Amino acid sequence: MFTKFFYLLKEVGIPVSPTSFLRLQKALDNGLITTLDDFYTAARTILVKSERYFDLYDQVFAHHFEGAELEKPAPFELDEVAQAMLEQWLRDPKGVADALGMDESELNRMSPEELLQYFLDRLKEQTEEHHGGHKWIGTGGTSPVGHSGFHPGGMRVGGISRNKSAVKVAMDRRYRDYSQEGPLTQAQMGEALKRLRNMVPVGPKDEVNIDETIYQTMKNAGEIEIVFERSLRDRLKVILAIDNGGWSMDPYVSVVQTLFNYARAQFKELKTFFFHNTIYDYLWEDPARFRKPVKVDDLARLDPETRFIIVGDASMAPYELMAADGSIHIEERSMKPSYERLRFIAGTFRYSVWLNPKMAQEWPYTRTISMIRDIFPMFELTIDGLEKAVAYLMRSN
Amino acid sequence: MTQESSSNPQFTGASRYVLDEELAKIVNISMALEMPLLLKGEPGTGKTMLAHAISESLNMDLIVLNVKSSMKLVDALYQYDTLTRLNDSRFGDSTRNVSNIEDYIKMGKIGQAFVSDKRVVLLIDEIDKADTDFQDDMLDVLDQMEFDIIEIDKTIRAKHRPVIIITSNAKKDLSDPFLGRCNFHHIAFPEPDMMRRIIRVHFPDIEKDLLNHTVTAFYRMREFRGVEKKPATRELINWIRALKADPDFKIKDLAKGNIPFLGVLFKKSPDYAVARNSVSRMRL
Repeated sequence: MFTKFFYLLKEVGIPVSPTSFLRLQKALDNGLITTLDDFYTAARTILVKSERYFDLYDQVFAHHFEGAELEKPAPFELDEVAQAMLEQWLRDPKGVADALGMDESELNRMSPEELLQYFLDRLKEQTEEHHGGHKWIGTGGTSPVGHSGFHPGGMRVGGISRNKSAVKVAMDRRYRDYSQEGPLTQAQMGEALKRLRNMVPVGPKDEVNIDETIYQTMKNAGEIEIVFERSLRDRLKVILAIDNGGWSMDPYVSVVQTLFNYARAQFKELKTFFFHNTIYDYLWEDPARFRKPVKVDDLARLDPETRFIIVGDASMAPYELMAADGSIHIEERSMKPSYERLRFIAGTFRYSVWLNPKMAQEWPYTRTISMIRDIFPMFELTIDGLEKAVAYLMRSN
Repeated sequence: MTQESSSNPQFTGASRYVLDEELAKIVNISMALEMPLLLKGEPGTGKTMLAHAISESLNMDLIVLNVKSSMKLVDALYQYDTLTRLNDSRFGDSTRNVSNIEDYIKMGKIGQAFVSDKRVVLLIDEIDKADTDFQDDMLDVLDQMEFDIIEIDKTIRAKHRPVIIITSNAKKDLSDPFLGRCNFHHIAFPEPDMMRRIIRVHFPDIEKDLLNHTVTAFYRMREFRGVEKKPATRELINWIRALKADPDFKIKDLAKGNIPFLGVLFKKSPDYAVARNSVSRMRL
């Protein structure tokens, strides 16, 4: 029963497992479910394991049982889709032009605004035929595939090109929160990071050291002498600063997500900050880099033993790093060049590294990477690179 | 089976807990399927209270396991008190038999729920604090309803399958195998209507004006931007209690945007400052 419903849930991307489906059958067999209302509640509680999918579940349920239309995308969703299409088009202009039945060269002549408007118009007239077809564009568009893109028409829309120094980011998708979703923790990454810990005795002396107790009791000629010790806890403090800005980091979203998810589960004392391209006067605690700024100067008050890990591609226009007023964000005016800021951080935390998702052989071609490498030891964001970085962070001197 | 389910107790609500129909269904289904029920939702939505309410209304004992980050699974199952045994062996002035290890095994919370003679409600509170190993191992135990005590080579089987409620504040994502073995429900923050009912349960004789004004003000204040910890049901109840206790308080003040006892609602000092600021601009 309801197999079709089950597969529909699966199709729209809700992770439903066959086991839970069998459990639902059991509930049906036992006469626990008598009305459609019951079924709605029961199926949701048994099949859907996260509130993130509740909305999707509602839509599928209504569609399947009431014959209601799958909801037409709201205007802001259309914007998202259009933007995703634009991204897609930057990567693969020909494919998108073909899909729209347009000549590639015709699209190339448009400005980004015109292009966006054009996509929007097309989407609006097409929603009838599409039916949730926006899903494939959405997912296809945001999944960070290849990065061989170039700028058709030579527009400065984003930073996907090889040089990655688009001067102003046209469409900053600031609300992409790395913590929201992402692949599950990769065991490999866990292995690499496992050595990043610092066991120190803390707390009250409440653990009996059996060996020592026996030894001392013997020495005492059988008079019991119980030896207590503090238990060992991992007290390593880690700060993770992530470049989540602009397009140049987009191809690496999934690997950064993995790292972030792992770090969140692994470290007890983990602070995460976000920045765009490089660090000026402030870091942000929220991924949108808007609500919770933290002064870089305040970092000096933290434990200097903290491991400071920066994740970013370190690719930007040289002036962003060297000029006293280099930030590409107008609201972020600073009197100190970012270069000084980075040196300040490196000086404050002697255990600091920069993890770069770009492969090491690409490094010599970007000037800012070499400059940052003068300040921080840089490692690839790969399993090998991570292991080296951990070894560096845990070095004893 | 039908006979059993008809004789099964059904959960309908408790004296201090306002239960919505949907949640009641979910609880009943989970009890019938003998599945742990995982509850998520922001603090103050009554996740923990639900377990108390179930135990009250079905007249079962409640056993609470408060999960701590450093907890190991075995702590929740049983404890072998080596120290007392060592002490007894030295001084021998207790009634326990030193050569019988079983005398020195103490049951943890899950163990207590298993050996209890009556069916109990087992609340595992804030599971997300523990690491994933703990969570997965625990689900194994709850799945099989038995565990071994290694020291005395004995298997403890549950006499009655407890009603298991697990809560999570979702600081971390729970692992897939864990989720696979639970039923799931997310308790949304109550709507103003629901909130009025909740308040009436706690203050049966509350004046209508006071109720409406406080609830409206409360939902306005939850909208304040830049607040880290939004006030929840618990804060609202305490706040109303404070207002009722204050002889100088007049309902009209609220309408003017003059909110007393802000500290009851916003407990972090940056939040308090933000709220103080925003309140002065608020008009009801």
